[in-house]
Amino acid sequence: MLEMKNIAKIYRTEAIATHALRDFDLSVADGEFVTVTGPSGSGKTTFLNIAGLLEDPTDGTYKLDGEEVGQLNDRAKSRIRNEKIGFIFQSFNLIPDLDVTDNIDVPLRYRGLPGAERSKRIRDALEIVGLASRQHHLPSQLSGGQQQRVAIARALAGRPRFLLADEPTGNLDSEMASQVIALLDDINAQGTTIIMVTHDMSLAGHGGREVRLLDGRLASPDDAETLAATGTGV
Amino acid sequence: MFSYYARLALISLRNSPALTVLTVGAIALGIGVSLTVLSVYNLMSADPIPQKSDVLYAVTLDSWDPERPYRERDATIPPYEMTFRDAVAVRDSDIPTHAAAMFKAGFSVQPGNPDIRPFRVISRMTDRGLFAMFNLDFIYGDAWGARADEGGEYVVVLNQTTNEKLFGGEDSVGERVRMGDNDFTVVGVVEDWNPTPKYYDVNNGAFDEGEEVFMPFALTEALELYSAGNTNCWKPEDIESYQNFIDSECVWIQYWAQLDDPAQRQNYQQFLDDYARNQQSVGRFQRPLNNRLFPVMEWLEVRQVVESDALIMLAISFMFLAVCVFNTVGLLLARFISRAPHIGIRRALGASRQAIFSQQMVEAALVGTAAGALGIGLAWLGLQGVRVLYREVDRLTYLTPSMIVAGFAIALVAALAAGLYPAWRVCRTSPSFYLRLQ
Amino acid sequence: MPDLEIRPILGTMRRNPVGAILIALQVAFTLGVVANSLFIINDRIGLINRPTGFDIDNIVTVQSTLLDDPADKLQQVRTDIEALEAIPGVIAATSVTQLPLSNSGSGTELFASADPNAPEVNGARFTMTETGLDAMGLTLAEGRWFREDEIKLPSTYGDPINVVIVTRVMADALFPDGNALGATVYDHLRRPVTLIGIVEHMQGSWISWQHLDNNIFTPQVPMQRFARYVIRTEPGSLDQVMSQVEPTLAATEPRRIVQRLRPYSEIRDRTYTEHRAMAIMLGVVSVLLIIVTAVGIVGLVSFVVRQRTRQIGTRRAIGAQRLHIVRYFLVENWLMTTGGAIVGMALAFGVNYWLANLFSLPRLDPWYLPAGLVILWLVGLLSVFAPARRAARISPAIATRGAAL
Repeated sequence: MLEMKNIAKIYRTEAIATHALRDFDLSVADGEFVTVTGPSGSGKTTFLNIAGLLEDPTDGTYKLDGEEVGQLNDRAKSRIRNEKIGFIFQSFNLIPDLDVTDNIDVPLRYRGLPGAERSKRIRDALEIVGLASRQHHLPSQLSGGQQQRVAIARALAGRPRFLLADEPTGNLDSEMASQVIALLDDINAQGTTIIMVTHDMSLAGHGGREVRLLDGRLASPDDAETLAATGTGV
Repeated sequence: MFSYYARLALISLRNSPALTVLTVGAIALGIGVSLTVLSVYNLMSADPIPQKSDVLYAVTLDSWDPERPYRERDATIPPYEMTFRDAVAVRDSDIPTHAAAMFKAGFSVQPGNPDIRPFRVISRMTDRGLFAMFNLDFIYGDAWGARADEGGEYVVVLNQTTNEKLFGGEDSVGERVRMGDNDFTVVGVVEDWNPTPKYYDVNNGAFDEGEEVFMPFALTEALELYSAGNTNCWKPEDIESYQNFIDSECVWIQYWAQLDDPAQRQNYQQFLDDYARNQQSVGRFQRPLNNRLFPVMEWLEVRQVVESDALIMLAISFMFLAVCVFNTVGLLLARFISRAPHIGIRRALGASRQAIFSQQMVEAALVGTAAGALGIGLAWLGLQGVRVLYREVDRLTYLTPSMIVAGFAIALVAALAAGLYPAWRVCRTSPSFYLRLQ
Repeated sequence: MPDLEIRPILGTMRRNPVGAILIALQVAFTLGVVANSLFIINDRIGLINRPTGFDIDNIVTVQSTLLDDPADKLQQVRTDIEALEAIPGVIAATSVTQLPLSNSGSGTELFASADPNAPEVNGARFTMTETGLDAMGLTLAEGRWFREDEIKLPSTYGDPINVVIVTRVMADALFPDGNALGATVYDHLRRPVTLIGIVEHMQGSWISWQHLDNNIFTPQVPMQRFARYVIRTEPGSLDQVMSQVEPTLAATEPRRIVQRLRPYSEIRDRTYTEHRAMAIMLGVVSVLLIIVTAVGIVGLVSFVVRQRTRQIGTRRAIGAQRLHIVRYFLVENWLMTTGGAIVGMALAFGVNYWLANLFSLPRLDPWYLPAGLVILWLVGLLSVFAPARRAARISPAIATRGAAL
């Protein structure tokens, strides 16, 4: 269960303050697949950063499984990221120095799991994404789609309750993109809550629920029509 | 986690070899230079006889010029050596556990074996107390008896090298050797004795070789010996004969005593002061009463055994190390910050700031360890260089085990200190900043 | 005057000062060390290169110890000298009691008058024979050298002498108004001696002694069985003469030990070992330090160039020439180096002040500071040049391309 209430995020520089999010409310139930859409600069990434505990909201409350997490210290937030949240990024964000196994190993290491358990989880995760034969390749030796599957395997290996995906198909061709989406659907079917940020309108509402952002706020139905009418996309 | 961080560090070091070589090289060079200098300094300032340096005392009497002190800059220091007559008088005291008057003198040795050409040796003219006091190790025989210290016995203790030369290393006790114009009977052979520094007589170089043979001080007058070391005189005296010389106010005898406890020391000080007061009544010792007992380490300080050049080099080498550390801060900063995007990913995947900080510090420690190893190698090279530059200082130019440990320790501390700021900075950067850049 | 963009550079440094501070600190310490090292090196080289006053490069010395008392010591020495002078290539030989520049020997004092309050003038004492002037290759400034009939046997200590020769510096110290030649001087027991000659210059025994150039010559041979000979050779015959010395001495008297046969220059080298070693070590340390600093600058600037790739591309895209980019980095580095150097000059003075107080070293000549500054400017500019050129080669297209890192 993820609940955000009155979330605001203001970036300040010497000269100006930018309201990236304001009065943002969102509640996501366990097992949902939510897509978050909106034009560039609408606050999608800020939302994802706050949801993923990478940034603190300026104001408002954020509860994860009923626990207020917005103002926890760094160590506690790191633990929640590690144990409850999985990330998938548009540009995969694999660590180029590490091979496939070591990349998937990263979150497991920070969780302090014993070696045997880590190996098992890595194997299982690679099995799910269908890359068991590539475990010792470096990211640079893989295609974009394979890299994204490794990134998904890395997120899965931690068995997160929430999977946050930031334009997971943005750098992929359509065939690979649909493979990745199919994979996410499977994961969601297993019970993992997925929140996917995208501005690919064909994916909007893919998992059954769509949240639209406009100028840092939840878009009203009127806005939605405006958006549809102007055909905002990439 | 340490081994995980170490593995990550190794991967990272391997992936940017040029930067790694520069970073390790910078600290290693600093370690190499400072360890070279520190080694020499450390051996220069070493305790030459640690097991008893606090109970061995250089005995000094202020018989110097009433008009001016022995050392112009520090009137509290009596002459470094004694006059012959004072040494003879002080020898009478049985307060010290051991005591010995001493000086060095040259002798021509004419071996009985005609195949060996005559050669010169330096002898330490001394009392039997020296052997027990300074812990010399006998291979054959023993020190001469108490009667030899009364005079008239032509006995000698050889060192191992001289015994090797004269008798092929055999047990030579009882053999005779012609030295100068007399036949001396060998009573003992000691292992070569080269304390560093040569604390008992630093006059002609604190890092000189020790003497090759030992003979009774009591023979000095009979053989009309002069010091092959240092003789200092202050009084215009008409010295026309050897008798004039040994009766003169010239100082040339070193005197050492072993005083095991404060009471013994106090007694001995009393004895020396009484002697000086007694001499005042015959017109000598006209300076304020200033007879001092210097324990070994204090004596080495008074004699300025550690040369000022060594101290200058020490200061400069640590400034060098400081530059290397600043340099390393910069290189580690470049290394860590260029890796900030990866750090961002790790943060997203659940690494706390502390975990990131630890990971960077482990890498710094690894750099330090490698630099320590390389630096010790460089220090070894540096010491070979020093050996070439300063002739005959083999005893000051090797790496002791404690210096090797110190090299690693300094390298590690330097690298960790250098890594502190870069690691702190990179662990503070916001993870979302780098993730958003995509 | 081209716009060197100093104001924007300073602005950038203020916003991100760490790199600049690191370079400035390295430069400061390096300047502190290099200026002091150069100063000490120059001081030591100056010491080593002081004129000796004698023909040091063409002299051989040797030490002889007879195994028995000679029947006539004076005659024994004369025989040895004659035999040595007969070796082809030898100009002259003499016996001496001590060797100049050996850091070993004895000294005495002379007085200009018998007055008990007359100031003493200290000097090292060299006893030589009538051949001493030629054997050492000294220059006689005034008066004459010893005659054969003046050479005496020494007794033990402080043998009374009738005639004495001194170096000019010593003569001037005794008689500041001149007229030393022919004057009566007084020995340590206030016995009168005639000053018969003045030698232009000769360095004495102890190189660190303030009165190194105060030297006294007396006409005697060495004591007892011991003798040291100084043999001056024709230029180029030193090695050949050296090989003949031991057999020659053995031929006149086999029952002796001959030791320490060596060219005179070796004695000087041995005596100056520590000074030379110090100069070389400081030189090596300075060069290494400059290399380390240069590497540090190259490393940091390369990093900055990589970090600013996009910014540089953008500048190029909006019209900056390659020259402007290179100049930007050169100026930026020059500012850092200069900032560091100013701190470094203060540091150099501090270090010198501290060393000078501790070890009574001379004060740092202020000229070493600008010298150090110029060195570090050069090092800084040379180090920054390669990465700056790399920066200048960054394509303007990078600004429009997406990739950054």
